[in-house]
Amino acid sequence: MSESEPCVIEVRNLIKRFGDLTVLNGINVEIPRGQITVIMGGSGCGKTTFLRHLIALHQPTSGEILVDGANIVGLSEKEMNNVRRKFGMLFQGSALFNSMTVGENVAVPLKEHTDLSPEIIRIIVRVKLELVGLTGFEDFMPHQISGGMKKRVALARAIALDPKIVFYDEPGAGLDPITASMIDRLILDLSKKLNITSVVVSHEMKSAFRIADQIIVLHKGKVLQVGTADEIKNSKDSYVQQFIHGESEGVIPFKQTSEAYLKGLLST
Amino acid sequence: MKEFAGKTGQSIFFILSGVARLWNLGSAVVGYTLSSFFKRKVIPREVLFRQMVLIGIDSTAIVSLVGASVGTVLALQAAYSLKTFGALMYTGSLVCVAMARELGPLIAAIVISGRIGARMAAEIGTMMVQEEVDALITMGINPIRYLVAPRVLALALMLPCLTVIVDIVGMIGGWAIGTTGLGINSSLYIAKSIEALCLKDIYTGLLKSFIFSILIALVSCHQGLSVSGGADAVGKATTQAVVISIVLIIVVDCLATAVIYYALPT
Repeated sequence: MSESEPCVIEVRNLIKRFGDLTVLNGINVEIPRGQITVIMGGSGCGKTTFLRHLIALHQPTSGEILVDGANIVGLSEKEMNNVRRKFGMLFQGSALFNSMTVGENVAVPLKEHTDLSPEIIRIIVRVKLELVGLTGFEDFMPHQISGGMKKRVALARAIALDPKIVFYDEPGAGLDPITASMIDRLILDLSKKLNITSVVVSHEMKSAFRIADQIIVLHKGKVLQVGTADEIKNSKDSYVQQFIHGESEGVIPFKQTSEAYLKGLLST
Repeated sequence: MKEFAGKTGQSIFFILSGVARLWNLGSAVVGYTLSSFFKRKVIPREVLFRQMVLIGIDSTAIVSLVGASVGTVLALQAAYSLKTFGALMYTGSLVCVAMARELGPLIAAIVISGRIGARMAAEIGTMMVQEEVDALITMGINPIRYLVAPRVLALALMLPCLTVIVDIVGMIGGWAIGTTGLGINSSLYIAKSIEALCLKDIYTGLLKSFIFSILIALVSCHQGLSVSGGADAVGKATTQAVVISIVLIIVVDCLATAVIYYALPT
């Protein structure tokens, strides 16, 4: 339970099966405190599924997930909600509540989990929006702002309760390179300024190398390699090299029959 | 034969599991509603009030229009038969009793299931698709408490109110056509109506509309929460919500009427 342990999240032998399909096949990783860990891998390698296990949106078939030393697998809803107070999550599509203004969106966790007065909540909302560079946008509706701004509002909402760990699901997906790099800078800023542990799921190499302290490469439901950005760049593994350089031909063939695809999935 | 038995069994299982899921959802909502009397912030007030405005105030016009039309039609059709017995003056009593006992609750519930039930299913379904419900869960907010409970409560409070409006507007519609088109004396029409109408007609009607409101809200929210996939799943859930709600309303109406007017002592 101690706060001084180097690992904030430890995953032990995590297995997830959907019917006959094994999506995660014995994952063992440690996520260091106060650093940015990027989980990388091709589409369909199970990285989003893995992330959803970390925040207990999915329950594993077997294995353990330790947060601050305590196993979160199989907790009751009430116990899990206590653990979730340490978490913030940025969803791929932002997941803002469309019927509420930007300010109300950021205020939801504050209203639900604290007894602060509306005036104080308004101030906190303004501060959080300022942290993500959106001062004065409180009264806009989500459909009135751009995709990048939505991401930032969602980030403000994720950090509203000052979480210790923030999860990002594809933070740069669907954004232009400049906006995506702004989001990257925000992730870096927040993690350093507020000493937040960040877990980022991404398949964008540039952004991953820019922000990561540690990179975990997933492939076919298994951990292929763990290392710093430089170690991954210089990896000897042919899949990792194909992935980094974005080549269409290599270990993963361009053309695949449906049988070969299924076989590939099931063989993991 | 084997196939038939299999299909029948499957349908029965499907219906029973649906009832069980609705029961679970309903009991969770009842739990949250009860605990909201003792604890603050169980049911979010803004959501509750927003829904009440949407259901109550914004639906008043359409519900009144339908109510008035039904009252008028009822008076016209009843007069046709009553005239042959020389009982034209009883048109008023027939319209009032029919509106209070049956048509008011039923019409209000059907209009609202199309207007509000569909909206609830589509809204919650879209929230499922856009990961908004997952976002609630990761914030440690139970979606049944935050989304379903206020909607059920708002509808349970507002549908009986709308039913009263339909009752009154329908009676006024009947009176208007009775005194002008059918030539019944206005005071006679009103006197006969009051004579026929008793308190039980009104409160049993309101009780029925309360039951309908719970059904509509639970079915619609349940359909919304079971969406997975994309736009077509939302469309399917919306249609299902309205169809299941209307079928359940009519079946339950049948049972409730039988129990209230024939099984229970008067």
